[in-house]
Amino acid sequence: MKIAAQDAVKARKARKPEAVILFNVSNQLFAIAADSVQEIRSTDSLGAALEIEQQEIPKVRHTIERGHRTYYVVNACAHFGLRVVRPTLVLMLRQIRVAVLVDKIERMAEISGLHALPRAFVGAERQWYRGLAYLEDQVIPVVSPLGFLTSQEFERLDGATAEASRHDLERAVQI
Amino acid sequence: MSGTDTENAKSYVLVQIGDRRFALPASEVSELAPPVRLHHFPHNSPLVSGIIVRRGRLVPVYDVCPLLTGKNSPTHQFYLVARRHFGSASEPAAIPVNGDSELVTADAVQVTSPSYVSGRLMHGGESIEVLDLDRLVAFEYREKNRVEHAELNS
Repeated sequence: MKIAAQDAVKARKARKPEAVILFNVSNQLFAIAADSVQEIRSTDSLGAALEIEQQEIPKVRHTIERGHRTYYVVNACAHFGLRVVRPTLVLMLRQIRVAVLVDKIERMAEISGLHALPRAFVGAERQWYRGLAYLEDQVIPVVSPLGFLTSQEFERLDGATAEASRHDLERAVQI
Repeated sequence: MSGTDTENAKSYVLVQIGDRRFALPASEVSELAPPVRLHHFPHNSPLVSGIIVRRGRLVPVYDVCPLLTGKNSPTHQFYLVARRHFGSASEPAAIPVNGDSELVTADAVQVTSPSYVSGRLMHGGESIEVLDLDRLVAFEYREKNRVEHAELNS
């Protein structure tokens, strides 16, 4: 019993603090590691977003070109199965070609560590979340940047985007 | 069956879930928690209604009332914290109950149906089902999978 208690204390001490961005989607609070977000922009500034025609992945309707890379714009409401509201901000993620539409940024915060998602959770949330944070009497899911789109979804979207580009090129040649 | 002085008598926690009483083996029960805040976030796991925080640990709450009684859970409720097993590992698991709980020693006879009931004991002239928490939550998960599978095939 004493050894277990000591281990628990060591485990707590070993937890590294982490800077997170707290954001809201359809009145639900989420956190994301600050270092996984490259940029936060207003949706008004995304005039150059291109609509893509595909029905397989309804949470993605647009792409954004940034630095010669195509980012897929994921609607976080649709991703998490929440009531869809009009988003005002977009989080451009780092190291992955995903931009996430959210309602608003609450603030930055530092969490003292992640709690593993209990095994009771067996659905898609195991891909959505890295774990849970307990901050100021609130349990907040910490989203996984890699959970927004699977590699298969990237492949399908890349295929749809390439097809759309080919059609655009053909139309341009005909004109 | 109702005696309390035989070699096979064990301790059980009797709890009220909805309008029925159930028993859980006392060896599986950690505590009866007060009506603390239930934290919600998006997920699609069957039966899980959220998370409560107990002694610095995040404890998933399984809303078993509709499954056991066919009625929605009452709003102001306590939580019985027990252990759920996953192979050789386990984690705390809470189920909403009302505040009336009782520790009794009784013999339980084994039953096999429904699968989430491991036995039945007599207490105060009442026949009370002994719940197997692991099977109870797995039962709901299997049911959800069965329904989804049937919908896909229809």
